[in-house]
Amino acid sequence: MSISAINEQLLRAIGVGIAIVGEEDLGFRFHNEKFAEWFGEPDASLPDVFSELSIDQLRDGLAADGSYSIECRVKPKRRMLIIALSLSRATSNGESLLVVECQNITRIRELESMIDSYSTMVERNTREIERERERAERLLLNIMPKTVYEEFKTFGVVNPHLYEEVTVVMLDFIGFTKLVTQVDPNTIVSELNDIFTSFDRISEQFGCERIKTMGDAYLAVAGMPEPNPDHARAVANCAIRFVRYLERRNMSSSIHWNARVGIATGSVVGSVVGVQKYVYDIFGEAVNLASRLQVFADPMQIIAHNEMKKSLVEEFTLSDLGRHEVRGFGEMRLIDLSTELKGTNTRHRDRMDPRN
Amino acid sequence: MTREIGCKMASQSLFQKYGGFAKVSRVVLAFYDKVLDSEQIGDFFDEIDMSRLVDHQTKFIASILGGPASYTNERLHQLHAHIGISDDDFDEMAKLLNEALEERGFEPGDREAVMQEIESRRNFIVSRNGA
Repeated sequence: MSISAINEQLLRAIGVGIAIVGEEDLGFRFHNEKFAEWFGEPDASLPDVFSELSIDQLRDGLAADGSYSIECRVKPKRRMLIIALSLSRATSNGESLLVVECQNITRIRELESMIDSYSTMVERNTREIERERERAERLLLNIMPKTVYEEFKTFGVVNPHLYEEVTVVMLDFIGFTKLVTQVDPNTIVSELNDIFTSFDRISEQFGCERIKTMGDAYLAVAGMPEPNPDHARAVANCAIRFVRYLERRNMSSSIHWNARVGIATGSVVGSVVGVQKYVYDIFGEAVNLASRLQVFADPMQIIAHNEMKKSLVEEFTLSDLGRHEVRGFGEMRLIDLSTELKGTNTRHRDRMDPRN
Repeated sequence: MTREIGCKMASQSLFQKYGGFAKVSRVVLAFYDKVLDSEQIGDFFDEIDMSRLVDHQTKFIASILGGPASYTNERLHQLHAHIGISDDDFDEMAKLLNEALEERGFEPGDREAVMQEIESRRNFIVSRNGA
């Protein structure tokens, strides 16, 4: 068998469609079986078989770099085939010819479509997961301070921290239990929600952090997790605004909210508690004392203990309430923190005084 | 066992169990080939654009196996309502998918679970005109 016969057999057998046409007339000189399977037996010239083929572009392409490629679609059976055509110049016995090479790239296109479709799904899922993550983060930020959350996110756990010097405010409503039985639960919850939201805003404004609400009680703290030398004043400012907010609200509301407030300086331990149900909580003397002092308060009164005097005396109006037996703490001198703010002028002057 | 859309098993979906998209893509292609070659249902796809069909089947099979994307039953109904699919067509489709899964090494129990998923969608895919 001659070399050319072997070549021809090879051309007939391969899975690539091959045709040879004259460069001038574009008439077919040869085609293999694969070519006929896809495009039928060619009886005329190249443009009759490939309607997508632009003769001008073909001539330009050949003139530029001796070859030309396009993609075309055929549908010999039910399935649409996508064929990549590549035409290149050759000569045989002095005749200028074009070799038409046809690769079936249907599978590649199908896979590309599938990857497109899949990546669209995955991207959408990723966006959903991202939204979900943000929602979870917002929830966690509701139950723990940001720096604690950062620690939790980085290490997966939060170590309990002792904070030596913080001030805690505990506010409790008077007659809440009775109120619950008298007023429509929806109204109660919506009012309470409203009040606590306002308290949160006040806390934030004065650099306090709400730790939790327990039923009708509200617990906030200043001086942790970031230390703040002004923690006592921050809490006093908050406590006063809480009471004043309630007073203002009561003027225009059918439900009258009366609260007792206790504020106390001391140490606390802050930690995440719980495995499945995380709660960030604080424990320790400042919490206990604030809660005890709150009990001593008359409606809308704020009670502090004498140790806080030196931090508060400049900015706030305090009055001595004498010594009282505080359960768990023994006898203590208590003070009343007036909800009347001292004149802004005084505060302004104090601040401006270079001796301070 | 409660069955959710997408055939989620207790801990991992079939989509994960069989190696995610890398493996499932082969199921999709095998199914795609079978569907186009089918005497019974191939004609339905005669005029449908290849990329649309691949897109649909990728999403459908991914969601049936508990991967990303889930077709709601309403959406499936919308997609098939005007095509006029008979119960026989539906059975053929299920059979071809079962074959594709088998060829790609899905265990009998898992194939059974997929077939149940498919079966539960029969009423949303088969046209019930005048019935």
